[in-house]
Amino acid sequence: MSTVVTPAPQRLRRSLGHKLRIAGGIVVSIVFLFPIYWMVLTSFKDQVDIFTNPPTFFFTPTIAAYVEYMTRADIVPRLINTIIVASGSGLLSIVVGTMAGYALARIRLRGAATIGLLILLSRGVPPIALAVPMFLVARKLGLTDKHITLILAYSTFLVPYVMWLMRSFFLSLPRELEESAMIDGCSRYGAFFKIIVPISLPGLLSTLIFSMILAWEELLFALVLTNRHASTIPVAIAGIAGDTVNGANWAALTAVGTITVVPVVVFALLVQKWLIKGLAEGATKG
Amino acid sequence: MGTVQIRDVHKSYGPVEVLHGVSINIEDGEFVALVGPSGCGKSTLLRMIAGLEDISGGDIRIGDRVVNNIAPKDRDIAMVFQNYALYPHKNVRENMGFALRQRRVPRAEIDERVNDAARILGLEHLLERKPRALSGGQRQRVAMGRAIVRNPTVFLFDEPLSNLDAKLRVQMRSEIKELHQRLKTTTVYVTHDQIEAMTLADRVVVMNSGVIEQEGPPLELYDKPASLFVAAFIGSPPMNFLEGNLQNGTVLHLDDGTRLNLPVGDRKQRSRVTIGIRPEHFTVAPSGWPATVSVVEPTGSETQITARFAGHVVRVLSRGRTSVRPSDTIHLAFDQGHLHFFDPAPVPEVAKMEDVA
Ligand SMILES: Nc1ncnc2c1ncn2[C@@H]1O[C@H](COP(=O)(O)OP(=O)(O)OP(=O)(O)O)[C@@H](O)[C@H]1O
Ligand SMILES: [Mg+2]
Repeated sequence: MSTVVTPAPQRLRRSLGHKLRIAGGIVVSIVFLFPIYWMVLTSFKDQVDIFTNPPTFFFTPTIAAYVEYMTRADIVPRLINTIIVASGSGLLSIVVGTMAGYALARIRLRGAATIGLLILLSRGVPPIALAVPMFLVARKLGLTDKHITLILAYSTFLVPYVMWLMRSFFLSLPRELEESAMIDGCSRYGAFFKIIVPISLPGLLSTLIFSMILAWEELLFALVLTNRHASTIPVAIAGIAGDTVNGANWAALTAVGTITVVPVVVFALLVQKWLIKGLAEGATKG
Repeated sequence: MGTVQIRDVHKSYGPVEVLHGVSINIEDGEFVALVGPSGCGKSTLLRMIAGLEDISGGDIRIGDRVVNNIAPKDRDIAMVFQNYALYPHKNVRENMGFALRQRRVPRAEIDERVNDAARILGLEHLLERKPRALSGGQRQRVAMGRAIVRNPTVFLFDEPLSNLDAKLRVQMRSEIKELHQRLKTTTVYVTHDQIEAMTLADRVVVMNSGVIEQEGPPLELYDKPASLFVAAFIGSPPMNFLEGNLQNGTVLHLDDGTRLNLPVGDRKQRSRVTIGIRPEHFTVAPSGWPATVSVVEPTGSETQITARFAGHVVRVLSRGRTSVRPSDTIHLAFDQGHLHFFDPAPVPEVAKMEDVA
């Protein structure tokens, strides 16, 4: 019996390495997930449990914070604003950025590389330096506190982001694909929409999702460019955290935080298959 | 009418000119091969016929239209690329039918034409597969199928066989030839493989650094090469070259002191020449000049002998078999009627590359 199950030393070592890797994975996951776990946990605590020292994992959960904040008039409209702004800027950026990335990858244009680099460099300007001029421009145009203003403002960083990701993806596709399509009867646009876009779909979708998440979580521009009608969830969180009159309401803060994260997680899980495929392709081809 | 007329065509990329005035007249139904070493501009010329590259100077006519400013899709051509460029998200049937769909051909007719082409190429059982589930040879066939379904005025091929292994390449070569004999569609075929060009084409155009060196039927190029370059490029194993000083037009003094008597001919104006002798025009005969054997390569039907002769390495092809061994001394004579005379020039790399291949 013992002779049957004696593992070779090599196999032992390999399985030990395997266990170590799994353990490492678990540790990393805990480090990343713990703050989120703590946020969700805190959102179900009452004021007393929150401030217990040492912090407690066991308490009677309450949904008071959710009830309070969901019934306060402004959280639902803000959620809607966030959805409008994130999908608006995500979609706008994916359309503009993809076409720009395609042009940079394919059109033989003197200075195309320089143009691409300049657009990328524009991302090096700290957002705070742009926020105030943007506010002044928006005010002059009578565009403050409007969805379209935030959508346009977010596109200033999302378009370059999409453009660079998609450009490197397009560079990995052989030119002959479009050339073949153009000989087969397509115009350049036809070749792009009928051949290139369908092939790029996984990459496009994952880029779109990342863009929407970036817009979903953005705080600075939202803070500067909106005050009531178009204000988004991150602004609400900042408002609660910075409430100097009543002191920070941690339960409320974490409840709204949870509300912000849940849609992202659900969305990511729904499109996980596409997301991973897109990421993997980006890694090997880009 | 599937004629293609290329008149004094130039191509520049920025300040660099890569085609320096090329003219070719291709007749309806003709199979023309463009050959030449890497970088000589074959693909560029083909892509200009297809409309994938602008024409910097001169003009190209397909049929009776000047096509310089006509989009690829309106030139009524089909092209097979070296990497096949199959649409990865479409199955074989959709790949082959794509061009017809773009032209709004009725569904039933598309199906019929795709099925016909699939039958010709033996692809019937693969029609529902995606390209990634095909072998290299099958992809190549699909790429051909996509071209023939169109029934275009002109076929353009850019090294369609160079991604296949040697055996498959030979097989596809004869299939392409058979296909051309059956369809009789005007064809322009780019290759850097001179055997492919010789075996397939009605006419071979040899290009070198952006100009045409010589054009003509394959055997004419083989028998009467107009330049050292063509002589070196066409033929495998390649022609042998010996350089020396000519005396009275009939005695060649090689640099190591060997004197070769040559037949009388009109070449008195030259003093220094390179003579070319094809490997099969050497004979092993007691009356010849001594040479030292270095390699013997029997292939069954013939034997290739590499030998050192008068300070040169020469290749000799003899019919049948031989008992010669390395380091033996043999005597080489050559067929006086098959000598080629050239102005001395460095032997082009291509001849040496053939040697390795
Ligand atoms: N987009 C381009 N920009 C600049 N030069 C180019 C470009 N495309 C091709 N060339 C140059 O033009 C010349 C001809 O290229 P081409 O592709 O026609 O060669 P080829 O004969 O097809 O060679 P190969 O057998 O290697 O395919 C080469 O010297 C190449 O460097
Ligand atoms: Mg080429």
